[in-house]
Amino acid sequence: MVSSSTIHRPAGLRETRDALVEAARAGASVECAGGGASAPWAQGRGSANLVLDTTSLTAPLIHEAGDLTVLAGAGILLSELQAELAGAGQFLALDPPSARRGATLGGVMSSGDAGPLRHRYGTLRELVIGVTVVLADGTVARSGGRVIKNVAGYDLAKLFCSAYGSLGLVADLWLRLHPLPERRCTVRVEATAAEAGGLVLAVLASPLEPSALDFCRGACWARFEGTAAGTQAQAEAAVGLARGSGLEAEVLGGDEDAAAWEQVATATSGGAFEGDGVTVLRAVTLPSELEAADTALQRAGQGAGVQVELASHAGIGVHTGRLTGGDAAAHAIVLASWRDFIADRGGSVSVRQHPPDLDDPALLAGPPPPGLEVMRRVKKVFDPDGRLAPGRFSPWF
Amino acid sequence: MNGPVSVEQLGAELSQSLRRDQILVERAELRTYECDGLTGHRATPLIAVLPETTAEVQAAVQVCASHHLRFVARGSGTGLSGGALPDAEGMLIVLTRMRRIVEIDPANQRMVVEPGVTNLEISKAAAPHGLYYAPDPSSQVVCSIGGNVAENAGGAHCLKYGFTTHHVLGLEVVLPDASVVCLGSPMVESPGYDLRGVFIGTEGTLGIATSVTVRLLRLPETVATLVAEFATTADAGTAVSAIIAAGIVPAAVEMLDHLAIQACEAAVGAGFSLEAGAVLVVEVDGPSEECSGTFAAATAACTASGALRVRVAADADERRLIWQGRKAAFAAMGRLSPAFLIQDGVIPRTRLGPVLTRIAELAAEAGLHVANVFHAGDGNLHPLILYDTARAGEDERAELLATRIIQLCVDAGGSITGEHGVGVDKACSMPAMFSEDDLAAMLRVRTAFDPEGRCNPGKVFPTPRLCGERPGPYRPHPLEEAGMIDRW
Repeated sequence: MVSSSTIHRPAGLRETRDALVEAARAGASVECAGGGASAPWAQGRGSANLVLDTTSLTAPLIHEAGDLTVLAGAGILLSELQAELAGAGQFLALDPPSARRGATLGGVMSSGDAGPLRHRYGTLRELVIGVTVVLADGTVARSGGRVIKNVAGYDLAKLFCSAYGSLGLVADLWLRLHPLPERRCTVRVEATAAEAGGLVLAVLASPLEPSALDFCRGACWARFEGTAAGTQAQAEAAVGLARGSGLEAEVLGGDEDAAAWEQVATATSGGAFEGDGVTVLRAVTLPSELEAADTALQRAGQGAGVQVELASHAGIGVHTGRLTGGDAAAHAIVLASWRDFIADRGGSVSVRQHPPDLDDPALLAGPPPPGLEVMRRVKKVFDPDGRLAPGRFSPWF
Repeated sequence: MNGPVSVEQLGAELSQSLRRDQILVERAELRTYECDGLTGHRATPLIAVLPETTAEVQAAVQVCASHHLRFVARGSGTGLSGGALPDAEGMLIVLTRMRRIVEIDPANQRMVVEPGVTNLEISKAAAPHGLYYAPDPSSQVVCSIGGNVAENAGGAHCLKYGFTTHHVLGLEVVLPDASVVCLGSPMVESPGYDLRGVFIGTEGTLGIATSVTVRLLRLPETVATLVAEFATTADAGTAVSAIIAAGIVPAAVEMLDHLAIQACEAAVGAGFSLEAGAVLVVEVDGPSEECSGTFAAATAACTASGALRVRVAADADERRLIWQGRKAAFAAMGRLSPAFLIQDGVIPRTRLGPVLTRIAELAAEAGLHVANVFHAGDGNLHPLILYDTARAGEDERAELLATRIIQLCVDAGGSITGEHGVGVDKACSMPAMFSEDDLAAMLRVRTAFDPEGRCNPGKVFPTPRLCGERPGPYRPHPLEEAGMIDRW
């Protein structure tokens, strides 16, 4: 029998499979854990009988540099993977700030976490080309393969992205890689949310191809990657665009560029895990809604006596609202108000972090997505007894 | 219900929601739809409908649901794997009349279209706003976006820009139980599972997309295209590796071998040298400065790899002609041979040399000619197997050669299909790539969407009826090969 809150760290695929078979036999609930960086998201972890710690699923990499692909175990630290790949002048085009807090590859896949580079490269969803998963009953299943172009069979990897281990455990992944750019540089433009909103649309409508286009800390940030000359030319054009709108702009290169993005990545992820009284909200809108999203958040914050700060991957309409000060009830008011506003515009707001006494499951989860019935059916076929990731997506199922 | 429902009964029920001219029951009319681009497989559906709205699709699917009737959705019918092959005892739902562009949002670079809109029409409608839709399958003039969603269509430029799944954000879908559901949204993400992601590329086996929200891209500031001629495909393959090793992600890298060049030149006259052993078409796009740097590097890589001649497209017209030459490759084969099979397989790009050599050996053993056209940047091969039905046994030898080439791709670590899909054509090859457990896991998804298995039956998954009871060979996972895990 699996006793309450047992933690088990399987050393490989076989042990993982054995653990899930045993859990199935015992009727035990199972939570998959990586580095813990996104543990509180999607309604957080419930109390499972068994925690499967995936951090030892770290079989040696199979790096096919000439094909720009790699096979990695789900337990590898994202930072470690990047360091390995950098040696070959390549990288996994993903920069979630959780990488510095011990995020594992499998954790980043399961949470859908990403950073500013999402503007150009998407999330891991866009970069996984093959996956091995272990299902609730211990079945080991693979989909995709090791080549980038492949339409054979269903793409199960998509389903396991952002599923928080509720459909099975991700054991290993084949990934598409990109060459490290020769140069990176950043254009920083002092801007209010209103000014940034206009500038972002102007950049999107221009021939510029930023890798990231963010708004936070009173500025709009555009990052460019590529050849030395190409990056320089794009940065100059971006400065020109900003000045054309009467805004101050500066170009940051080298160490300044790297430092800037560390800040931006932290801000746009909500600077998570700082303090108990913090609520971190994630909103998704169309890119044109930056100013409106900011105004609505500020208004909601003022009304409830809560300090609010918006930081956005503005080019793709992904916003992080950070709430500090005020009690849980006040945070709940801001959440409900902002969510109503965003939902009216077709978007959604989810909760990434919240004070313990902000605990109404329906409020935390928000309105269910339109495809909820299908989502429930998918959950049912992969995890018929509802033993995986208890608490995740509560109260939807 | 006792016994199968009559066509008259179905027609009567459908006419509650559709006009008579939208319901086809006459054999002569139905035969228009008896096959898609895989013309070797034909079946006449029991009945066909031509809905014009989501409500009409829903009504047709409802009629099927109430009689437990199978159904198949069809777009433009350009698919090359038989994914739109009708079910002889089922309904065919033809979506070509659903071709409205519902909404364009230029600022947010989004467009909402009905499934019958062609791939190229999307880009044409976006062009006045300086935008376009990136996936560009060779059939883009006629293929529909609904079909693109079903097949996760790619195209020549997917090396840099990705596939349908990267450019379709939201779908409205009619499920086999006739409910209508939205998967995804116009936003980059939606709460809950990525159901849109899992739906795309399932070849019409989970439901029918009735509205598609696509992401548009800004037209690149500069496009630069070169044609490099090589003595051998091996040299051309070396050039591709050199381009990638230089850290360049070109918009497209296409290769044609000697035989393919002959056909393309006869059809289009794009100016490829008839003497060349292989031709590479390399395209880079993006902001001007960036482009000129990467283009120079790509040109240098070709020269250093032994290019006999490098020609740069002087203008948009010349570029169009080059692409016309490349995209005409399939159709042009008719000039070389009375019949041919188009194969679609993928290999890791670095295995290009040995795999091409082996294809040539296999072709020689079969006594057949194979022309090769491929998306060399991503290792997607399209060997065209030429044969003549007038010569006894050639068609069978061609089929066998096609199957051997696919096995070769899988053995090299690749895939049985890069863009044409599995359909009926390769359902029996799925066990070459996936174990029974892998396929069973995929079938669980099928069950969640379509518990009765009525939606595009007989596609993608191998069945005893289709493939016989003989189980396919199991291919080991790379981890097994590396000795890190073992099978139990």
